[in-house]
Order: sequence, then structure tokens, then C-alpha cells
Amino acid sequence: MISRRPRAEDADSGAALILAIGFVLMVGTISAGLAALVTSGVNNRASLQTVRNRQYAADGAIEEAIAHVRAVPGSPLEACAVSDDWIIDTVNDIRIRVDWSNSCGAVLGSDGAAVAQRNVTFTACVDAGAPCTEADMIVAAQVNFEQASSGVVTSTYVQSWSVDR
Amino acid sequence: MPCLSGPFMGPDRHVSHERASTMPQANGNTPRHERRDAGESLIEILLTVVITGLTITALVSSLGTAGNAGNAQRGSVNVDIVMRNFAEATKAAAHDCVVGAALDIDFDPPSGYTVASEPSDPVCPDVMATQLVELAVTGLQGMSQTMDVKVRTP
Repeated sequence: MISRRPRAEDADSGAALILAIGFVLMVGTISAGLAALVTSGVNNRASLQTVRNRQYAADGAIEEAIAHVRAVPGSPLEACAVSDDWIIDTVNDIRIRVDWSNSCGAVLGSDGAAVAQRNVTFTACVDAGAPCTEADMIVAAQVNFEQASSGVVTSTYVQSWSVDR
Repeated sequence: MPCLSGPFMGPDRHVSHERASTMPQANGNTPRHERRDAGESLIEILLTVVITGLTITALVSSLGTAGNAGNAQRGSVNVDIVMRNFAEATKAAAHDCVVGAALDIDFDPPSGYTVASEPSDPVCPDVMATQLVELAVTGLQGMSQTMDVKVRTP
């Protein structure tokens, strides 16, 4: 006597295995997503820390440049005639280049006489062997150097200080 | 076993055949196709259970890892915040600097965090120089960061 299994029973064969494989794929996708999320978070954290260190390195390099400029001798007019210059400073293991340029001016004093204002603009960027540009500038600052008649700088005033990136 | 037939027995015709096929034959052996199917579902289900178990283990493990990574991430961000605040406090302290005087950093870290500077008692530098201060912050779970800042006397 010949007996055959019904067709419906044949179609169900292996269904549980297929479901299990589907489950594996779903969990695999979820795990891959979680791994990507964690990796992305860690990378972002590292990037933000690098940016922070770079900002404070640029900050410190500009402080160094201010101290350097302060040592330039002469009266405000003489100091303003000094050509633009630059230094390279390493802070947080990052080489920072600071360029500065004189942006001197004059104001009227209380007695009506013109008084020279020795202002210097500093720009800091990661050293790439070339002067800092707007595109790669990290910190830009303008500092006023108050000088006695003898030419000695008595104090410095930060007029502007902007962190760009 | 003969097939039953008649006006009221039509629908049972196949059933009768199935029953007939599952019955032991006269020689005591089961039919060939019956032996082939025997235990198939059990193996399949066992395999499925094993695969599902392994998968759930992997899922729980990855969720745990993601949770731990999230905690570490949060700890790192908090240490970063404390570090930035400490650095700003250090720079602010330099605004009132007098050459040779102590650089008095006024900063109280949040509970669970400790801060330190190197040199531990920095002084305001000469007007022509800067003072490098290495800041260190240790947070929860022993997470720590260090960073250098430079200050100068105005």
C-alpha cells in the first residue's frame, strides 16, 4: 500500500529553522547598529577632546605671543613700525603657529593731544608651514598694549578674543 | 485494511489510507517513509533552540556592552566638563595676577571629582613670560584627563 505525506506537511518542513535564521539576522542587525552607535560615540568623544586640546593650545600660544610682543622695545609709534611676525609654540603636543600684525591707531587724550594706540591682532592656527588664514584660524585676538612714555608696557588689555573652531 | 466506501464514508477515505499506512506491516517493520521522518522535528527544534539561545546571549551581551560604553561615554563627557571649568578658572585666576604672587585658582570640583595642577602651587610669571600649568581631573570610575594651559600676567 502506498502512502504519501500531505503537501501541507512538506511545506512546513524547516519552518522553525528559517524562523531561527531570521531571528539571528534580526539580532545581528541590532547588534551591528549598537556597535556602530558605540563606535560613533567613542570617536565623537575623542574628536571633541582633540578640539578642546587644540583650542587651549591655541589659547596658550597666543598668550606666549602676547608676552613676546610685549618685549618689543620702543615707544608705541616705534613698536607699531615693527613688521609683522610670528612664532610657533607647542602646547598639548600640538604645534601652533601664531601670526600677528599691528593695527595701531590714535585717539584724542583728555588734553586734546593725539595718543598712539598700540593694538596688535593675533591669529593662531595649527602649524602648516604657512601663515594662518581665515579658513584654518582657531583663535583670533586683538590686544592693546598700554605703554608709559618710556616705552615700557605697563599693562595689556584684551579687546577681542574669539574662538572659531 | 480495505478502504471504506459508501454514501456516508466518502470524507474519511484518505484518513483511512493514512491510518492504514501508519500501521505496522505484517512483518513488524514500519514503512520506509515513516523511518525517514522519524525525529526530524525534534532535531529541527533542538537546533532552533540552540541557535535562538546563542542569539539571545549575543544580544544581551551586546546590550550590556553598549550600556557600559554609554556609561563610560557619560563619565568621559563629565570629566571633560570639569576639565574645561578648571581650565577657565585657572585662566580667570591669571587676570588678577601680580608678578611673583601665587596663582590662586578658585575652583571647587563637583562631588566625586578631584582636580590637581602641576606645579601644585603655580605663581604668576614675569610679564615677558608665560606659565605652563598642567591640569588633571579624575572622575568617577577612575576616569582621568590631563591638559596643559598657559597663563600670563596681564
